[in-house]
Amino acid sequence: MEKRVKYKSFVKDPGTLGSLELSEVMLLFVPNDPKSDLKLKVQTHNIKSQKYTKEGSNKPPWLNLTSKQGRSHIFEFENYPDMHACRDFITKALAKCEEEPNKLVVLTPAEQLSMAEFELRFKLLRENSELQKLHKQFVESKVLTEDEFWSTRKKLLGKDSIRKSKQQMGLKSMMVSGIKPSTDGRTNRVTFNLTSEIIFQIFAEKPAVRQAFINYVPKKMTEKDFWTKYFRAEYLYSTKNTAVAAAEAAEDEELAVFLKPDEILAQEARQKMRRVDPTLDMDADEGDDYTHLMDHGIQRDGTNDIIEPQNDQLKRSLLQDLNRHAAVVLEGRCINVQSEDTRIVAEALTRAKQVSKADGEITKDANQERLERMSRATEMEDLQAPQNFPLAPLSIKDPRDYFESQQGNILSEPRGAKASKRNVHEAYGLLKESILVIRMTGLSDPLIKPEVSFEVFSSLTRTISTAKNILGKNPQESFLDRLPKSTKDEVIHHWTSIQELVRHFWSSYPITTTYLSTKVGKLKDAMSNTYSLLDAMKQSVQSDLRHQVSLLVRPMQQALDAAFQHYESDLQRRTAKIT
Amino acid sequence: MIFKIEDVTVYFPYDNIYPEQYEYMVELKRALDAKGHCLLEMPTGTGKTIALLSLITSYRLSRPDSPIKLVYCTRTVHEMEKTLGELKLLHDYQVRHLGTQAKILALGLSSRKNLCVNTKVLAAENRDSVDAACRKRTASWVRALSTENPNVELCDFFENYEKAAENALLPPGVYTLEDLRAFGKNRGWCPYFLARHMIQFANVIVYSYQYLLDPKVAGFISKELQKESVVVFDEAHNIDNVCIEALSVSVRRVTLEGANRNLNKIRQEIDRFKATDAGRLRAEYNRLVEGLALRGDLSGGDQWLANPALPHDILKEAVPGNIRRAEHFVHVLRRLLQYLGVRLDTENVEKESPVSFVSSLNSQAGIEQKTLKFCYDRLQSLMLTLEITDTDEFLPIQTVCDFATLVGTYARGFSIIIEPYDERMPHIPDPILQLSCHDASLAIKPVFDRFQSVVITSGTLSPIDLYPRLLNFTPVVSRSFKMSMTRDCICPMVLTRGSDQLPVSTKFDMRSDPGVVRNYGKLLVEMVSIVPDGVVCFFVSYSYMDGIIATWNETGILKEIMQQKLVFIETQDVVETTLALDNYRRACDCGRGAVFFSVARGKVAEGIDFDRHYGRLVVMYGVPFQYTLSKILRARLEYLHDTFQIKEGDFLTFDALRQAAQCVGRVIRSKADYGMMIFADKRYSRHDKRSKLPGWILSHLRDAHLNLSTDMAIHIAREFLRKMAQPYDKAGTMGRKTLLTQEDLEKMAETGVQDMAY
Repeated sequence: MEKRVKYKSFVKDPGTLGSLELSEVMLLFVPNDPKSDLKLKVQTHNIKSQKYTKEGSNKPPWLNLTSKQGRSHIFEFENYPDMHACRDFITKALAKCEEEPNKLVVLTPAEQLSMAEFELRFKLLRENSELQKLHKQFVESKVLTEDEFWSTRKKLLGKDSIRKSKQQMGLKSMMVSGIKPSTDGRTNRVTFNLTSEIIFQIFAEKPAVRQAFINYVPKKMTEKDFWTKYFRAEYLYSTKNTAVAAAEAAEDEELAVFLKPDEILAQEARQKMRRVDPTLDMDADEGDDYTHLMDHGIQRDGTNDIIEPQNDQLKRSLLQDLNRHAAVVLEGRCINVQSEDTRIVAEALTRAKQVSKADGEITKDANQERLERMSRATEMEDLQAPQNFPLAPLSIKDPRDYFESQQGNILSEPRGAKASKRNVHEAYGLLKESILVIRMTGLSDPLIKPEVSFEVFSSLTRTISTAKNILGKNPQESFLDRLPKSTKDEVIHHWTSIQELVRHFWSSYPITTTYLSTKVGKLKDAMSNTYSLLDAMKQSVQSDLRHQVSLLVRPMQQALDAAFQHYESDLQRRTAKIT
Repeated sequence: MIFKIEDVTVYFPYDNIYPEQYEYMVELKRALDAKGHCLLEMPTGTGKTIALLSLITSYRLSRPDSPIKLVYCTRTVHEMEKTLGELKLLHDYQVRHLGTQAKILALGLSSRKNLCVNTKVLAAENRDSVDAACRKRTASWVRALSTENPNVELCDFFENYEKAAENALLPPGVYTLEDLRAFGKNRGWCPYFLARHMIQFANVIVYSYQYLLDPKVAGFISKELQKESVVVFDEAHNIDNVCIEALSVSVRRVTLEGANRNLNKIRQEIDRFKATDAGRLRAEYNRLVEGLALRGDLSGGDQWLANPALPHDILKEAVPGNIRRAEHFVHVLRRLLQYLGVRLDTENVEKESPVSFVSSLNSQAGIEQKTLKFCYDRLQSLMLTLEITDTDEFLPIQTVCDFATLVGTYARGFSIIIEPYDERMPHIPDPILQLSCHDASLAIKPVFDRFQSVVITSGTLSPIDLYPRLLNFTPVVSRSFKMSMTRDCICPMVLTRGSDQLPVSTKFDMRSDPGVVRNYGKLLVEMVSIVPDGVVCFFVSYSYMDGIIATWNETGILKEIMQQKLVFIETQDVVETTLALDNYRRACDCGRGAVFFSVARGKVAEGIDFDRHYGRLVVMYGVPFQYTLSKILRARLEYLHDTFQIKEGDFLTFDALRQAAQCVGRVIRSKADYGMMIFADKRYSRHDKRSKLPGWILSHLRDAHLNLSTDMAIHIAREFLRKMAQPYDKAGTMGRKTLLTQEDLEKMAETGVQDMAY
């Protein structure tokens, strides 16, 4: 990036014209006058901080860079956008500089981990005993490094950091009408303190004030006058002296705007009424009530309250304010402008409202949602069979849960039900079909139709669980439960550790670095170790269980065998290459 | 589930059923078999509506030769929508199990304002102007005119509907108002007229009370319902008030002024017709001589609100001679207005019986009783003859004619009360002449006579023996059901003292005491900090609520409440209240939590549910007594005492407690739900007040909870919420079954055990 600038070494310096070249690693100033010796080179990572003049202030667009050595360089730009562009660029470059050392951390051992991350890992281990066991077995025995171990579990680590993502600030629960003036105690003057937060809230709660601001400021009056007038009106309102308020409003039309009922609000209300849940719509109710047709029905038996007749123009009640306030707080901050400029805030709010109005036109979704909410409300939950299907949730911590829940599911299915006739091939066919569809039309949401995936899953689990059932005498109980507890735990533990090892093993291929090849070697040793442990376990169990245990162990051994085979062939290939 | 009750196979859309639902169905079936009326009280939150709907639709299926029609009356439109929602669920279930033979036509009916799809008509701002805008496009003379003058605007939806004539039918199904509108828009037919037409073919009609009880509306909507109908009044605890309101009418200064303007307009119209189309007026005169007030063949668009008097009280004879001519009738009305104006000028409250009012009217204005009686018919005829479409403009004169007709028709059960100002605001002159009905049995009598079964049901009908007296009928079944509890899912408490141990009450002499206001506020501040999601508060009146909220705002209590929950308030503006409710629900849905301030006897208390997380706590501030100094109330109490020997105090307490029970009863919807109820007034601890609460609340009101202070209530609430958060066995424990399966029901049928032990 290149920009035309004036370079100054100190503030009063008249400056040298030239051009500023920016790159990620350094910035370079070349004066226009080739004779000048004011050529400047600053390395990005040497920049400590940058300061700049604010737009709207009387100063020209200056950017002041302070280097780590304490020297400052001032650049005067031709205009603000140029300056901002440079500033952004430098900020990005600086951020990159800072990142680079972080990258190194990943490669170096865990000591350099941030404390928070370390705590998180520790917490995870503490909460999950299975994880802890694996960690102990592999990391402490140096089969895997700490980072290798965690790199396959990024999700566990990542979840919490996502949760920490920044949350939008809500609005204060305080009412704007609750802004109490402060008095100095001696004179009759009252002072209102106004912050940008309060202004935002006033604009959000009172669209008429917002509109008035856009209309009047700065054409008709200054911002200060505007707010003085606004608080004058608020003050009149709070004194509850409607006569005085009416008199002042009659004289001052700008003041009257603040005291009149808010028309924009009324319009919004009408719009919202169309989307309101019909089971709450009391307006419809009034529209149906012919008993209270003009002067019909009972008027004055004390059930109907009477309200003091008021000046219609100045009718505004605390209750309305409360409702409005709560509605705005509930809606939340609909814009994300952090500007000091009141006008920008007002305009942004108006725009946001218009957008939401346009959204209101597309009522199909809202309608759908409304209907859904209604049907949910009409159903009586506890009379129904439990709604949740007998499926384990998809984030499967322990695959055993899933299979066992499926097993029960299949048993409870009536015999000869249509579904059970479907076989694996059919499910396979369905899956193939949907893959074809994906190939044709690309990915869609959901990736695969829920029905298809359900079909595939259930037919797969059916075959698995039936195989399991044949083993057990009692179909309800899985074979695992009949093993002595120690053996069962051992089987499960072996299985998880084999999973861990195999996962690391296969993810290391193709071997491109020596680091990987040593890792594979370590893994292979650990695996063969486990293999022999499995054999030992098979021998040690009681003879009546031996057959079943060996059936259980077989897939594990098969997995290991496959890994060994691959290791051997790969090793041969590589040595062949070298020689 | 599908099970049998005696000879009827009941299709119930859930897998389980509460024992009380089953019992309810059994009783209801007996009443249907006996072709008589019944009175059933069942606590809210036990699925009354679905039990009722599935029994009656199943009953209809089991008697294919004499199909009954169900006319289901709700108090409000939103309840109508809810009922239709449940019916949809049921209908889907029945069709799934029985196929097309279970198909029914069910629809909701409402006014044009809620059904119209013509955007130009809908642009009118209130109901009456929507009605008028519709009539401007659909009246027969307007349509006739349009054949000559293409500039006359008609309604395409109505024209299409008329064109389709006999073919304009709704296919079977369940139609909410929204569905009707969608169907109408789709087909290009007017949903309002279509729905009104389909009433005679529908198997289930859901509409509001007044379509049966208010003769003005019932006269042109429900005239043709067959006797073999089952009429259900749901949430009927206030039915007596609806009945007396339907026959009451009043006249104010503005009414008289408006009526005078109307008469001027009518006069002009008459003159215009005389000059251009004198034949018309003559034809009308001849028709009246023949004794026909109205042409028999009124097309849909011409129909307008019917006679305010009950059908069998309307004389079927010729309009008296002295008002047959249009000008004469206008003169009579002028004299009537003048007389009413004089009467309104009073400085004292006057109470009079209709008989003496009519006789003084006769002697001073020369209007006979019979003439009065025909005022409505005569005006209706005149307006049709003059082809007046902007009915909303002519409401004042209609009001006066309705008044005249009613006062000429009824000598008993009414009184006329003239008040120069409202008792509570003596400084504002607002004279009013009220004809108020005291006898609820009058309006409902035609319904009892006309239909074979009338079911009156609600969550609060205690004491149940009072209703047959108030409404003057003999039920074949009258029962109050208890609630079988899986766990104590409601927790009523009586709070008599604040945290400073001073008594709290809304008794007149105490209600503005700052100590009471503060204690009430502190109670809420404490409660919102421990109760999750929604909290609802009911106050005894708007003015009281207004005052107390203003005080809380000044003293900072409101600010403390707002730190915990958002605050929404019922106001007298329905649109604002609706939006506030909608936002309240959103706030509860998203977990922010909110408090809703509402008024007993208000529109929200009448029909909005605060079930599940929408209401975990209801606070009833005070006892919602009626304003006992009201002249109308006094007159009614006197009448009740003289006619039914109901004591004044008893009636007032009964009325206040049914409102209170109604307010707090909105918190639970099923047994999986839970909620607390706080009665915050020392008067609730007295036995004579408390005992009027419905049994299902009383049975949970422990003695230890009868005299609590704020701190104790907080403690109990904490414990309760903790207990409710635990998982529990839905089917009931310790031998008490609170959830029955199909097998349970079959077993019961075998053993013949009908009454479950619960």
